[in-house]
Amino acid sequence: MLSKLSDILIRLAAFGLVLMTAVICWQVFGRFVLQSSPSWSEQTALLLMIWYVFFAAAAGVREGFHIRIALLEDLSSPRMAGHIKMGINILVALFGLVLLIYGLQLVWLVRIHVIPSLGISRGLAYVPLPFCGFLMSVFALEHIFNDRKAVNAPSADSVASGAERAE
Amino acid sequence: MEILVLFGVLLLLLCIGVPVGFALLGAALATFAVIDIPLVVAVQRMAAGISVFTLMAIPFFIFAGDLMYRAGIADRLVRVADAAFGRVRGGLGLVDVGASMMFGAVSGSAIASASAIGSTMVPLMKDKGYPADYAINVTVTAAVVGLLIPPSHNMIIYAAASGSGVSIGDLFLAGIVPGILTGAMLMLTAWVVARRRNLPRGTFPGFGAFFRALVYAIPGLMTGIIIMGGILSGIFTPTESSAVAVLYTILVGAFVYRTLGWTSFIEAAQKSVRTASMVLFIIASATAFGFALALLEVPEQLAELIAFITDNPIITLLIINIMLLALGTFMDMAPLIVITTPIFLPVAVANGVDPVHFGIILMLNLGIGLVTPPVGSVLFVGSAVGKEPVATLVKTIWPFYLTLLFALLLISFIPQLSLTLPAMI
Repeated sequence: MLSKLSDILIRLAAFGLVLMTAVICWQVFGRFVLQSSPSWSEQTALLLMIWYVFFAAAAGVREGFHIRIALLEDLSSPRMAGHIKMGINILVALFGLVLLIYGLQLVWLVRIHVIPSLGISRGLAYVPLPFCGFLMSVFALEHIFNDRKAVNAPSADSVASGAERAE
Repeated sequence: MEILVLFGVLLLLLCIGVPVGFALLGAALATFAVIDIPLVVAVQRMAAGISVFTLMAIPFFIFAGDLMYRAGIADRLVRVADAAFGRVRGGLGLVDVGASMMFGAVSGSAIASASAIGSTMVPLMKDKGYPADYAINVTVTAAVVGLLIPPSHNMIIYAAASGSGVSIGDLFLAGIVPGILTGAMLMLTAWVVARRRNLPRGTFPGFGAFFRALVYAIPGLMTGIIIMGGILSGIFTPTESSAVAVLYTILVGAFVYRTLGWTSFIEAAQKSVRTASMVLFIIASATAFGFALALLEVPEQLAELIAFITDNPIITLLIINIMLLALGTFMDMAPLIVITTPIFLPVAVANGVDPVHFGIILMLNLGIGLVTPPVGSVLFVGSAVGKEPVATLVKTIWPFYLTLLFALLLISFIPQLSLTLPAMI
């Protein structure tokens, strides 16, 4: 279920990137061919970027592609490395929670601000922060849960205990 | 005391292995809690940090770079470089540097360069009897040169972070001579190392083959001309030019080279969005961290500290370079640009360094950090592409490190290298 969710997030994010490319190219086309720049294009592209960056960043917690220094784990015994991994995942879950709580507060604070060229609430630009903060916590908890299971049943492969280096 | 919290928490989180983006956020949150600033401000700074138009160029350049790799543009650049340099001893090392420089001139991302040129050159060099460590070390250090050769998305981050209206066009022009110089120096090192290790040489295919290779590569090389020409003539903003570069690469890949299919397009979009989100998430957190730095007046205190140590501009620039090199070993380039620009740029300017010149110094300096462990994303990419552990690579990489450091010294202390071209145009 969760793997499907992170897959969907990446697909949506990739679609957002392609859409953003199209919007900016349309802006160029509009200026040179139609002789008028669309007023909505820059803000729309920016809105798309904030959305897909946080979508993909949340999926990144599950896939473990966020860059980090794995030196300490590499130097530790497998048992110790397991504890370190759990500590990291607990911290990431906490930071996700911070994004959820204060992101919601932020969305609420700016709900009456309007993005001038689009006529929609500024809050819409910030919605992905709490949403993806929540997902980051969920994915981090999933890692903790899976790693626990792997410790209790040592023969089973630790499924998607991901969190390796980027790339 | 609060400064201790900010840096202490950051170091602690980084050392236990928390991803860089979360570590920066954590340090900012801890500091905000200590000095009693509502935590919502941290989240607000994060959102504001990536709500910047020019930063949209980052995903575009990453996307364009990945598409170029899948469209086989890197292969064609390698063929040009091979026809030009293949005949000397260790020629493929020089080919590697030359192809990376050309790729740097069409793409804005060092990671894209290392994976595109690396996945073509490293297997080829292994085939011809070159040791893997040599092949990878040349590839990753040559990818750093691409940071100096325009276009470069890191220069756009710098322009955004400097906040003082540093022109992206000027930065792009300023990188050309230092980029070519550093590339030439790396070629020399690659040649010397190849002679000492007695690596094979190729044959000269003749001028006909050289021009044929060049003609095949021209549609790919045009990307760089479109981007640079568009920005310098004022037709496009940098963001627009990078979006047009994506569209142009799709068209060339799909209809001219006919190497880019639907599946590889989708793969490129999904791969790029991962890389771009990783970079931009870190930039968002770095903005919150930078806000805490500014609140604690770290830039002012550091400026006072440096002024207390020395009033000599040369030593000041040396100190800044050494601090940046040290930071570069354990942090990625993008967050360091966001964090260190407001700290060091005022000090540098007060010592008579032009902001454009400082940008070029910053690119090469932090670029060296991309190929040094423990955090060196370009080195990691090279290690993954060439299937050789980082520990093996760093044993033989030192001649290339020394070359880059020497280039950094030249570029730091000969401002004319950077500033002559932008002054002319």
